[in-house]
Amino acid sequence: MPCERKPMRYGHSEGHTDVTFDDAGKFIVTCGSDGDVRIWESLDDDDPRSINVGEKAYSLALKKRKLVTAGSNNTVQIHTFPEGDPDGILTRFTTHATHVAFNHSGSRVAAGSSDFMVKVVEVADSSQQKTLRGHDAPVLSVTFDPKDELLYPGCSRPCNLTVVVHLQTKVTSWPVLQKSNDVSTAKSLCRLGWQPKTAKLLAVPVGLKVHLYERDSWEHVSTLSDDMMTQPINVVAWSPCGQLLAAGSVGGFLTVWNAESKLCVERQKHEKGYTVCGLAWHPSGRQLAYTDTQGSLGLLDDLPTASSATKTPKAPAVKAANDYDDLFDEDDDRAMDEGLSDTHSPAKRPVAGGDDDDDDDLMPATGRVKNRSSFLDDENSLGTTVAPPTGPSLPLRPAYEGPLPTLPQKPFQPGSTPAHLTHRFMTWNSVGVVRGYNDDQDNAVDVEFHDTAVHHAMHLTNALGHTLADLSQEAVLLACPATDELASKLQCLHFSSWDANKEWIVDLPAGEDVRALVLGQGWAAAATSARTLRLFTVGGVQKEIFSLPGHVVSMAAHGEQLLVVYHRGTGFDGDQALGVQLLQLGRRKRQVIHGEPLPLSCKAHLAWLGFTAEGTPCYVDSEGVVRMLNRSLGNTWTPVCNTRETCKGKSDHFWVVAVHENPQQLRCIPCKGSRYPPTLPRPAVAILPFKLPLCQTTTEKGQMEEQYWRSTLLQNHYSFLSSSGYEIDDEGQNQNQKEQQELLMKMFALSCKLEREFRCMELAELMTQSVVTLAVRYASRSRRMNLAQRLNELAMEKANQLQEEQEQEEEEVQEEEHHTPRSLNPFARGAAASPEKPSPKPRKSPSQSRVSNVLDSMTSVRRPAPLGGPSGKQSKGPVLKPLAPKPKTKMQSTLLQMATSKAANKKAQVNPEPAADRLKQPEVPPPDLPVEDSENQKPRTGFQLWLEENRKSILADSPDLQETDVIKAAMGSFRSLSAEDRLSWTERAKGQSGEAADLKKRKRVEEAGEGDESRVKADENIAKKKKSLDTTAKLSAFAFNKN
Amino acid sequence: MDPTEVEFLAEKEIVKIIPNFSLDKIYLIGGDLGPFNPGLPVQVPVWLALNLKQRQKCRILPPQWMDVDKLEEVREMERKEDSFTPPPSPYYMELTKLLLNHASDNIPKADEIRTLVKDIWDTRIAKLRLSADSFISQQEAHAKLDNLTLMEINTTRSFLLGSLNCMFKLRSNMQPGTSTGKGPDY
Repeated sequence: MPCERKPMRYGHSEGHTDVTFDDAGKFIVTCGSDGDVRIWESLDDDDPRSINVGEKAYSLALKKRKLVTAGSNNTVQIHTFPEGDPDGILTRFTTHATHVAFNHSGSRVAAGSSDFMVKVVEVADSSQQKTLRGHDAPVLSVTFDPKDELLYPGCSRPCNLTVVVHLQTKVTSWPVLQKSNDVSTAKSLCRLGWQPKTAKLLAVPVGLKVHLYERDSWEHVSTLSDDMMTQPINVVAWSPCGQLLAAGSVGGFLTVWNAESKLCVERQKHEKGYTVCGLAWHPSGRQLAYTDTQGSLGLLDDLPTASSATKTPKAPAVKAANDYDDLFDEDDDRAMDEGLSDTHSPAKRPVAGGDDDDDDDLMPATGRVKNRSSFLDDENSLGTTVAPPTGPSLPLRPAYEGPLPTLPQKPFQPGSTPAHLTHRFMTWNSVGVVRGYNDDQDNAVDVEFHDTAVHHAMHLTNALGHTLADLSQEAVLLACPATDELASKLQCLHFSSWDANKEWIVDLPAGEDVRALVLGQGWAAAATSARTLRLFTVGGVQKEIFSLPGHVVSMAAHGEQLLVVYHRGTGFDGDQALGVQLLQLGRRKRQVIHGEPLPLSCKAHLAWLGFTAEGTPCYVDSEGVVRMLNRSLGNTWTPVCNTRETCKGKSDHFWVVAVHENPQQLRCIPCKGSRYPPTLPRPAVAILPFKLPLCQTTTEKGQMEEQYWRSTLLQNHYSFLSSSGYEIDDEGQNQNQKEQQELLMKMFALSCKLEREFRCMELAELMTQSVVTLAVRYASRSRRMNLAQRLNELAMEKANQLQEEQEQEEEEVQEEEHHTPRSLNPFARGAAASPEKPSPKPRKSPSQSRVSNVLDSMTSVRRPAPLGGPSGKQSKGPVLKPLAPKPKTKMQSTLLQMATSKAANKKAQVNPEPAADRLKQPEVPPPDLPVEDSENQKPRTGFQLWLEENRKSILADSPDLQETDVIKAAMGSFRSLSAEDRLSWTERAKGQSGEAADLKKRKRVEEAGEGDESRVKADENIAKKKKSLDTTAKLSAFAFNKN
Repeated sequence: MDPTEVEFLAEKEIVKIIPNFSLDKIYLIGGDLGPFNPGLPVQVPVWLALNLKQRQKCRILPPQWMDVDKLEEVREMERKEDSFTPPPSPYYMELTKLLLNHASDNIPKADEIRTLVKDIWDTRIAKLRLSADSFISQQEAHAKLDNLTLMEINTTRSFLLGSLNCMFKLRSNMQPGTSTGKGPDY
């Protein structure tokens, strides 16, 4: 486009605005809904003069140092211009005036109002008013024609336009306008335009077109339209020469037609697509000011003039232009902006056909521009010299309606605030904070460490103008972009160095700018505008260099890992197309993630990139979703938190600074009403919890599932750390696993309660072997024999698997001893991806096949089981055997019991009543338990045996006991048993298997009829009685204990 | 009670600090504190906060009520109401003094806060005097005052009791029936 669209600037607060130029074209005058009239010397005027005219200003007109405004206080006021002194009230309406207009000479003002009235007032004497009634709708706009006779109020409701002659007679009306009840609901403002000078044509915006009516005959002579106009035209304005007609539409389109040729000479789109509601030509006809309903002011500069707009085909364009310039060399050199028009400017084209002089005069470029502009001014003043319109108008731009490309996001340092701020965070990470100051007094960088033990705070003068920074425990890395003289530099303050030189600077090759930088452990990396990534040691040795597939967006590092995010391509419809690479830069360098797309929320961009403190890659997008790499699921990204959910206000954000997996913490700074925190007052870090977006997290089931998966996800780092040779916190890992298994057990219990046995099985498959045995016990206690049986099979399967794995491990260790005698690391299995060690996959597959064999055999065993009761029981024995085959597991078994009771305890908490119900059922206790007991060859006390039998009842009595409390309670009630009973238990304990079984059988026979409940009651009764039995009982208990 | 004693009690209040060192949980009689992570806010009693601050081991985050807007609101309320409004904190005066004296660099608009708290204090003490005056002039036997802080009670106690004692003596002397002996000391 030949004309220059200046960027929009803030003019008024949001709302309707109007704009005009003063007579001389020196000022742009705007009014807006903030009630101010602003006088701008130019678009770049940063300090416009404001005149307050009321609460809101709807319209203004300016002529001969008089400024007339229509305000919300139902008056039309007059002010002097440019002083802005109030000069009285011209007229009043019952509602607010919608539009005011001067006549050509400036002697009269017409004002239209929402109360269906139009008033015409003499400026000199406001008592001379003429009121025009008879409209039956709010008056949208008014205008005088240049001959000062006619007034044309555009009127909304009856859909027509009325012409009044000599302020008396209604001449004609056209039913062209859309219906509306009020000015605010009118689709179009319908600002009319009279052709200046000749006053021949009246332009009326009608929908998407502009109708031109001829004076006197009032006939519709032609229509101006443009294919690009998709929404109703709001305003029209004639250029001062009367040749061009500009129109602004609702969707923000600005179009300029040549009224004669009816060709579109200029098209512009509002940069944000807001509705244009004010339009004014500069008296020179070269500039067009416009305002929108959001209160912004814009300017089109260097518009083509009428004559230049009627262009000829551009045949020998450039050459001819040169010739033409020669012709006008002698013309006065009026100061004009340089570089306004380039060689493609239409300003040149009209001359193309005119001159065939082939005289090549080498004029300096600037001179040519000057000459041309003077020529244009000449044209302008003549106004009528026209070359016949020969060619078609501007070629129509192809209307593209597909997805629109998104602007690629700019590179950023994680934890930094935008570079345009004078006080900003250059980076905030888990080590410290780097702040940049760039104001009048100071250009400095402040480095502060969270932990002052690392290093004391530093204050550096920022002579080089660094904009990027990163901070680690070892060094501070800074970088500045290239300037005209200086190359882009990378500066490193290596404060942990043990020699005297703590600093190094590297110049980048010319034309290469640092875009992102990062510090790892012992190394630094810088990504440049040449799409290269340069690696350095922290001491300044240059290392590898490689190319990135696209422009870098951000980088992060942790230990030996480097995470790079770059533009993979062009995103569409607001989405970014980012790719991610994860590299290991340790001794064995390798790429872990090979440039896969980085998943982002819809229309979001990357906001933070980093690692958790444990070394898992992690990032946050602008929608506040935190995603973490799930190494156990093929390096996929799992959303772990949505920070926006915890925001109170809509415009509040959380600015993430660090992520920790253990404890699960998301450290971020709450920003009220902004995306970034200010440097002062110093923001405080807040902690957010993780929450996986699983379904139905309000229900107990959903909650536990979320907890389980969160725990599993955040446990991945243990295996990663151990595989990369770091020490890991075994205790933490065990605790984590225990927590997971507990959760599984809880879920199991819940599903049991809900009678979802299949789900129970599914859960059991996630459990470890030891916990499955607990599940077996739970199921059998709750009389779910089918489930218990299946679980038993599963437990055996798992036990076999475990055994095999252990064997394999041993083998591996042996193998490894053969291959690499030094790596005896038991964790080496995880790092098996290395080429030296045999890959784990071939080893694993046989194990799986073996497992499947086991499965096969299991199924074959399983099938006959349900057929007959006795056979099933027989088969149970061998099935159960492997549960406690090794002495090692025996040791565990006591622990397991503790855990069982815990699990049972928790279950009991969940639902004590059904448990009690189940107890009430007079059923034989599951036979497998005693069997199991007898299998256990460990010496036990009578109390332990008794506890096993009675744990359930104790739990049922008081479900919220902890394990230790349970034992205490049990101890109490055991002591209160009669001496005989206790003796029998001890005997059983001594005699173990055979005798004990006999005893039990006897007992069972005795109690068979009564059922558990009665037994419990009996026990309780006994307990109550025995409690009163004093010291003797206690002493005897002692005696027993000694036994 | 001495004002220093009241201040001592106030030092048990909890504030948030941002330590610049790392330390595991510490187990004290009053409860466990920490763990301290550099850069991460942690709640500690005022005495520890001040101690750490003096050794430049932490930044103190001002309590929520120690904010110019909130205090202005409280001041307006206090001026409007005849009775005592609930104080921003039961130890507002002591905490303001302690924190502003030792950590004014960590508290934005410290001077304004100091003035505001002083205003609130003055208003409340004026009310207290007024009520004491009316209590005595109306010769009431007892009165109830809500929302007083410990510090405020302590400022007025010695004077009020002393003057009541004094008045009692004077009155008992004036009464013709009673002997010239001392009245019971309160």
